[in-house]
This record gives sequence, C-alpha cells and structure tokens, in this order.
Amino acid sequence: MSLSAPDSVATAPLAGATPATPGLPARHRRWLIWLVAAQVLFVLGVAVAGYATAALGRTITLQTEPVDPRDLLYGDYLRLRYQISELPGSLWRGSATPRRKQAAYVLLEPRSSGDFEATGVYAEPPITTGQQAVLRGSVQDVWRRGLRLRYGLERYYVSDAMSRHLRQRRRLRVTISIAPWGQARITQVDTLRQ
Amino acid sequence: MSRKLLETDGLEWVQRGVISEAQREQLLTLYPIDGAAIGLLPLLGSLLVGLSALSVVAANWQGLPELVRLGLLLGALLAAYAGGEYFRRRGNLSLGMGLVALGLILFGASIVLTSQLYQLIGYDLTGLLAWAVAGMGLTWLYRSRLLFLLTAIISGVVQGYNTGQLGAFSYLTAIGTALGLGYYWWRRPDALLGGVLAGGLLWQAGLLINHLHVKITWFFIPAMLVYALGDWQADRPAGRALQGPPLGAAFLFTLGLALFGESDFYAGQLRAPLVPYLAALGAVLAVSLVGKQRRGRLGSATDWLLLLPGFYFTGGLPLAVATLVVLYAYSGSVLVRAHQEHNPDRVTLGTVLFVLTTAVAYFKLTWGFLDKSLFFLLGGLLLLGLSWWLRRRAARTLAATAAPVISQP
Repeated sequence: MSLSAPDSVATAPLAGATPATPGLPARHRRWLIWLVAAQVLFVLGVAVAGYATAALGRTITLQTEPVDPRDLLYGDYLRLRYQISELPGSLWRGSATPRRKQAAYVLLEPRSSGDFEATGVYAEPPITTGQQAVLRGSVQDVWRRGLRLRYGLERYYVSDAMSRHLRQRRRLRVTISIAPWGQARITQVDTLRQ
Repeated sequence: MSRKLLETDGLEWVQRGVISEAQREQLLTLYPIDGAAIGLLPLLGSLLVGLSALSVVAANWQGLPELVRLGLLLGALLAAYAGGEYFRRRGNLSLGMGLVALGLILFGASIVLTSQLYQLIGYDLTGLLAWAVAGMGLTWLYRSRLLFLLTAIISGVVQGYNTGQLGAFSYLTAIGTALGLGYYWWRRPDALLGGVLAGGLLWQAGLLINHLHVKITWFFIPAMLVYALGDWQADRPAGRALQGPPLGAAFLFTLGLALFGESDFYAGQLRAPLVPYLAALGAVLAVSLVGKQRRGRLGSATDWLLLLPGFYFTGGLPLAVATLVVLYAYSGSVLVRAHQEHNPDRVTLGTVLFVLTTAVAYFKLTWGFLDKSLFFLLGGLLLLGLSWWLRRRAARTLAATAAPVISQP
C-alpha cells in the first residue's frame, strides 16, 4: 500500500477538500497512516479482548429462563433471559437501596447441578472464596420485591438455523467466561433436557 | 463558471465582441477537462461486482471461520483507505473521498461485527466513541465536507444509541462534537457545514432535554448558544447558515404552540421556571448581542423577537394571541429587513413566514365563531390579498436592486 501525496488535483464540489489543497502534505500523510493504523489496532483490540476473555477467563455455567419460541424479533441473535436476570430484593447487600443504572456485582456459587446461582448482590465487588465467582451487571429496574439486572450477556449471535434450533429447546445452559479483569462473554450455549 | 458554459456560449461571446477569441481560449485553459474522471459504466460495473461480493460474504458470514471474518473486515478497511489515497493521487478527488468515507463506515461496521464475532455486547460506549473520534480525525486531515457531514451523523447516531439503548447521555460525545466539528467550522467557515453542524448539535441538545426530562423550553438555551456562535463568526453566510436551524426550530415550536397550545395539555411540560429560564436566555442574548455588535450586524438582533417567551401565558386565547404576536413580530421583522437590504431570498422567506403566520392566526381566531364556508372564503381572500400585496412590494424592491446592475457596462 502506498500512501504518497497526490501530484495533480481536480476540484470536486462536495466530496473534495477545498480546491486549493494540493493533496495531503507529507506531515498529514504520516498522520493518516497513524490514524488508519489506530483503527486497525482498535478492531484487533476488540478481537483480542474477546479471545483473551475466553482463553484466560474462569468458566461458569448459567441456566436461562424458557426462551419464548414465538419471539418474532429473531435474526442474527438469540435473546437470552437468565435465572439471575431477575433476583429477589432480599439478596441485595448494599448499604443504600438499589437505584436504576447502578453497577451491581452478583456473587455466584455452584449448585449440585453444576450450574451457578446467585447468593448475593453487592454495590461494590465482593471478596470471593473457593468456588465463588462474581459477575458484573447493572440494575435495570427495581421494584418492591426484587430487581432486574443486565449483564451484557443477553444476546447470543448465531446463524438463523442455529437460532431456530435453540429456540425450540426452551431451557438452555449457557457457558460463560469471566476474565480476571471482569469482562465476561458467552463461549457456548447448550440445550437442556426437559 | 463551468467549461460546458464556455464551450456552448463562448463562440457567441466572441461574435458579440464581449471577449476575443484568444481570451476565449485562455478561459478554456482555466477549466481543463477532468482527464482522470472515471466513466459511469465502469463505475456501475465495479459497483455491481462489489455488491455481489458483499452479498456472498453476507450470506455465508456466520459460517466463515473467525480469523477469515476478521481478515475480511480489516482487509476491506485498509483497501478502502488505500484506494481513497490512490484515486486522490490520480486526481480523482470525488471517488477518492468517497472511498475514504467508505473506510470510515467500514471502521464502524468492523467494531460492531467483531464484537458480535466474540459475543461481546458491550454496554459501554467506547467502540462507538472511537468511531466518532476517527471521523473527526479524518475530517481534520482531509478537510473534507463529506467527512464532516459523515462525522456529524455518526456523532448523532452514537448519542442516539446511547440515550435510547443505554439510557445515558454522553456529555463527552456532545462536547467532542461541539469542539471538534465546531472549531473546524470556525476555522473554515462554510454555509453548508454551518447548517450540518447546527443540525447535529440541535439533535444532541434535543436528546439531552428528553433524557433529563426537563421542560421542553430549556432546549432553546443550547439552541440559541449555537445561534450566538454564528454571530461571532466573521464569515457572514456561514454564520447565517449556522443560525438557520435554531431559528427554524424556534419558529416551528412557536407555530405549533399557536396551533395546539390552547389545550394546556402540554403546557405543563413546556414552561421552565420563569426566573432561571429568563436569566439563562438573557445571558445567551448578551453573548449574541456582543457578537453582533463586534461584527457590525446589530440589525439582525430582531431574530431574537422569536424568543419572546409568549408561552408563559396560560392556555386558551391569551396563549394563542401571545404566540401569534411573537410570530408576527418575527416574520414582520424578517420582511422589513429583507426590503431594507434588498435581499430577494429573504423577501421570499419573509413572505412565506408572514403568510403562514396569517393562516394560523386566521384559523385560530375565527374557526370557532364563523360559519365554515364563510371561514374558508374569507380566509382564502385574505391570503390571496396578502400574497398579492407582498409580491408587489417584493417586485418593487427587486426592481430597485436590479436596476443598478443592468445599467453597468
């Protein structure tokens, strides 16, 4: 790829630079290379973050609530609702009452089935012991007896065919990787026998 | 002037003795044929090939291995930027800038598709913000109006997504748009970009007012700040273009209030607390007036008539009358100034606003107690008479301005 300065320049009404600009000067060309390189690095950074979360993260499994098979809004992703998406207010361990859009840290412990369930919701990251894991979410809704949380794990991007297949199994087991720096992503979705 | 005009009319000018043949040829050399221009057919052909490649990739996207998908995205991104530079170097600026703009769009698409590839939803704004920042950098580098427009749209989309999906307003995006694009426009004043900038900023201001759930009229504080910026701009047409959207918004709002305000249903959401609102508006007015005075345009202070807070009258007839007075004061002042300045475009604008206001006034004030057929007859006659009178005045003004131009040798 060569990014050298244009040697002849015609005028263009909307698309062009000001007619008098004789192409990009050398200093600007260097800036352009930096700018394009930064864009490529940013996209690679997103990929690396995703890859590293799966490679270095701790794996837990969560159960979803039944998927609504009549959900019309399917396309390139499946909407997931977890058992820990709605939690009773008694699990709240914060000092003040929870507010909408507030960050919430959900302490998870494995049950006999192997799937993780919530044992407490904290406003600050709690200290974990042994098998416990922490998932960061944000409070979406608060009502008298409970709260709804969002984890950034509610969409699973799959092909149409796979999406349709998963939709028919109502309950799903979702494998999640939680990176040491707190980022989480779905690594696998399996169907559960009913 | 275009080469085409010279080619078609040039010979006639020579025959009439306006210019000599040598001058005609000199003029023609000033407008060379764009040799590098690509023909339409090859362009359409390559567009079709590109679209077919795109549909093949899109159809098999989920089935492709991760690295291939990532490679395709980054390859397309780099190819668009490299192609843009290549065509700019060949002198084909439109195509070159089109490809750079495509590169910017592909950057946004790459962020979204890569996040999906690795199942990262990301309820934070970092990725989208990076997109807007890249657009701003490219705008500054290429000094391109197309990239400016695209960046204004991207910033608006980022803010819209943020308030709509994430339920938060990104002050960083708003300030970044205002400073990055605003300073660019300030340094390189341009009428079209002024309109684009004002539109983009008003959109974000509207989102902020909606997000904060405050009274609607607070919108006019940031809107009139944008207006005041236009007063400080040395380039008059660019400044006027920036002031168009805020004035348009204020006029439409007042017009809407005159039409539907009487129910007092929305009135509760309308009125900001009187004293803080007037204090803020007064501060912006002061900024605007000082700017006008510095640039010697105090005459345009009549624009502020539109901001007279007539909406503080409570519902029903007083509100309708107050808003109509505001509308008449404004459109009348536009007409008077247009006639003073002998500006044909503004005469037309003033006429349209005045007739519109009269239609609304008539509709509001007479609908209730006039028989319907009489209502339409009188209303039609009123509007016809008004437009006839205004057109006659406009014609006189224009004749006065046109005369000196024609008399020149």
